[in-house]
Amino acid sequence: MTPRKMSLKQKYGAYTRGLDWKPTYQREDDVFPFAKYEGIKIHDWDAWEDPFKLTMDAYWKFQAEKERKLYAVIDSMAQNNGQLGITDARYLNAVKLFIQGVTPLEYQAHRHFAHLARHLPGAGLRVAAQMQSIDELRHCQTQIHTISHYNKYFDGIHDFTHMHDRLWYLSVPKSFFDDATSAGPFEFLTSISFAFEYVLTNLLFVPFMSGAAYNGDMATVTFGFSAQSDESRHMTLGLEAVRFLLEQDEANVPIVQGWIDKWFWRGYRLLSLVGMMMDYMLPKKVMSWGEAWETYYEQAGGALFADLARYGIREPKYADVAKAEKGHMTHQAWGIFYNYTHAAAMHTWDIDEAHMAWLREKYPDTFAQHYEPRYRKWREQAEEGKRFYNNGLPQLCQVCQIPMAFTEVGDPNTISFRVSEHGGDRFHTCSDGCKDIFDHEPEKYAQAWLPVHQIFQGACGGATLPEVLDWYHINQGADNMDYAGSPEEEQWNRWMEGRRPVVPVAAE
Amino acid sequence: MPTLTIEPIGETIEVAPGQTLLDACLRAGVWLPHACGHGLCGTCKVEVLEGEVDHGGASPFALMDFERDDGKTLACSAMLLSDTVIEADVDEDEDARRIAVDDYVGRVERREMITPDILGLWLRLDGAGLDFQAGQYVNLRLPGIEGTRAFSIASSPTEPNLIELHVRRVPGGVGTAWLHDELKEGDSLDFTGPLGRFYVRRSAEKPLIFLAGGSGLSSPKGMILDLLEQGYSEPITLLHGGRRPCDLHFGDLFRQLEAEHDNFRYVPAVSQPEADDVWGGETGYVHEAAERLFEGRFSGCQAYLCGPPSMIEAGVVALMKGRLFERDIFMERFLTAGDAEATARSPLFRKI
Repeated sequence: MTPRKMSLKQKYGAYTRGLDWKPTYQREDDVFPFAKYEGIKIHDWDAWEDPFKLTMDAYWKFQAEKERKLYAVIDSMAQNNGQLGITDARYLNAVKLFIQGVTPLEYQAHRHFAHLARHLPGAGLRVAAQMQSIDELRHCQTQIHTISHYNKYFDGIHDFTHMHDRLWYLSVPKSFFDDATSAGPFEFLTSISFAFEYVLTNLLFVPFMSGAAYNGDMATVTFGFSAQSDESRHMTLGLEAVRFLLEQDEANVPIVQGWIDKWFWRGYRLLSLVGMMMDYMLPKKVMSWGEAWETYYEQAGGALFADLARYGIREPKYADVAKAEKGHMTHQAWGIFYNYTHAAAMHTWDIDEAHMAWLREKYPDTFAQHYEPRYRKWREQAEEGKRFYNNGLPQLCQVCQIPMAFTEVGDPNTISFRVSEHGGDRFHTCSDGCKDIFDHEPEKYAQAWLPVHQIFQGACGGATLPEVLDWYHINQGADNMDYAGSPEEEQWNRWMEGRRPVVPVAAE
Repeated sequence: MPTLTIEPIGETIEVAPGQTLLDACLRAGVWLPHACGHGLCGTCKVEVLEGEVDHGGASPFALMDFERDDGKTLACSAMLLSDTVIEADVDEDEDARRIAVDDYVGRVERREMITPDILGLWLRLDGAGLDFQAGQYVNLRLPGIEGTRAFSIASSPTEPNLIELHVRRVPGGVGTAWLHDELKEGDSLDFTGPLGRFYVRRSAEKPLIFLAGGSGLSSPKGMILDLLEQGYSEPITLLHGGRRPCDLHFGDLFRQLEAEHDNFRYVPAVSQPEADDVWGGETGYVHEAAERLFEGRFSGCQAYLCGPPSMIEAGVVALMKGRLFERDIFMERFLTAGDAEATARSPLFRKI
């Protein structure tokens, strides 16, 4: 008699927990040395409920077919000069920001989930971490392969891993992830799997992937589809992990709340790059940052935190600040890039009339009053041949590492900064959110590698801008400066000659 | 309409043309894992064992070619082309009995006001009567009134030929007004049943807590009668809440059961007693009485909640605060036909 076919659940159990064993000649605490020092108490690892049941054999089949489909699109893009189908060469700056800032994080995620796959004591969670580790490696590779087509024709993409480690604005995403990977295993799960991949993921994924779809970048769209079924697994892992921690012991609740507060604010600050991309860098806009924040955080996050209240978890501290700042944040971020585009591996540009009209419509309470006059002044200066570049070095926030250009809540004319003292030194942060994070672990953040400090200390190739840019591997005159007058603009206009009328780029 | 059978739980439901399998399942109270809801993430993947489906708008990256060949589909996108059997990633429940849903006719043998606003109805059934699990409900079809009205069965399954229902008069409600004002002893009522997945998970052998609000006593009454008849040995506590002492029906019955069974405890609570009410029992909401009784710790128990949504929500919060979580909490929300759609929820909880 043939035995009854195993159910999905039984099969998954046999392939995962069924492969686990209890150590006998080593102590459990020695085998899993990171499991206890964060203060998280786990009484019953078997109470972990696997949020998805994908066995390794099925996983390989899946990913193989996904890759066949994705690489077919990438090949066709290469054969058919797919770069000519995008809305405008300015769109590529969003892609540059993505490969410089996000793709290396996928690799870091791959490495750290591999670490969790070794070091978490529960077998179910270890297998989930192992699968996610492989997902992240695949995402990193497929992003590189997808975007490498653009590297043949466009600037600023050629040395993204090197730039990720050195450039001032890329230290924002890099230090974010370094913070997570240098934390314990449970804080990492709460930070990356829950706060980032669950609570804030749509604010990263939707703008980039929809932005690609709206702007004719079919290869990146296809990458997005190929990653989405992985991302949904990552989201459910984050949700299940937090639920598990909260249910295992009530002493875990305040620890998890502290991490949610911290990583909400860290993630929100990181997303200022994405928000700027949405409001300023997509030739054809998807939605404004303000609209995205309302839909994906205020509504979806509101429902989540209403449910989490049953566990004694409240909304992240300073969520009210993020809400109050949503009409200001992206304009201030774009201002930073416009000021320092001579030191960036991407372009900025004058905000034209159609784009300003769109911004007035999306930000009726803030744009016309506070930001439009600034852009008009900058345009006037540029037309007089005095395009403004900030040749000083900005002070950076010790935690988020963003130049201190954000303003006080309710007072858009005053720069917000806070000061903490630690070990006889003064440390500056950009907000109450970042100050709280610093003050909770000053020993950690006092060690931050701050690009501006490093330049002053002589650690970045020299004392002059060209020397620092060489050390960054920025191809000067091509990767940096305004789009207007760039080799990229010249090439794009040449390609477009006779293909279609030159359309002023801006709003929908 | 084509039918859909969901294995391994064996539940059969109807699916309307153009309706997705996920929508049909969720509406019928069968929870399937799901996330994006529009064919992109693959969380709701199920296996088609028999029958034929249209995959709808499932993404080729979420439902791969080899999976389509292997009979997989995405419940959130698929529609039925014939009667179909699927296997989904849902847990088989050893306490669930598979009882076919059927149409019945009952004759009103007795009707009686059991509180100032709750009507008790006793329906006589011929033949084998209605087979059901204590805690389940039936859908009544009322003459001249659109849709059906759901009422939990308050009697024990050992009496399949006499079904007891409790009908609270909903202010402005058409269905309950008809039952209160028009229905007479000797009249016939058409109904469908048994329905619902609210029954005791007795195989876990845990102490049981029942929280009932107002007319939400009906299911717990049937469940407790059944448990005591079957000799369930773990402690059973019933907390029944009402505004005033006169709202607490069947007090005498439960006090008598408490005297006869060492493991049964009955705790009535009133929330808004008036000056002339004589009351020596618990005062406050039913979840507050539970917190006092259990000193705020519910872990190790199983809880069954039945009543209006606000009472259920307060009960869940109190239970979770006392470290009892979703796997041990079961509920039946009493919604009226006029209740608005549920507010937006996150995917954190499946059923509570």
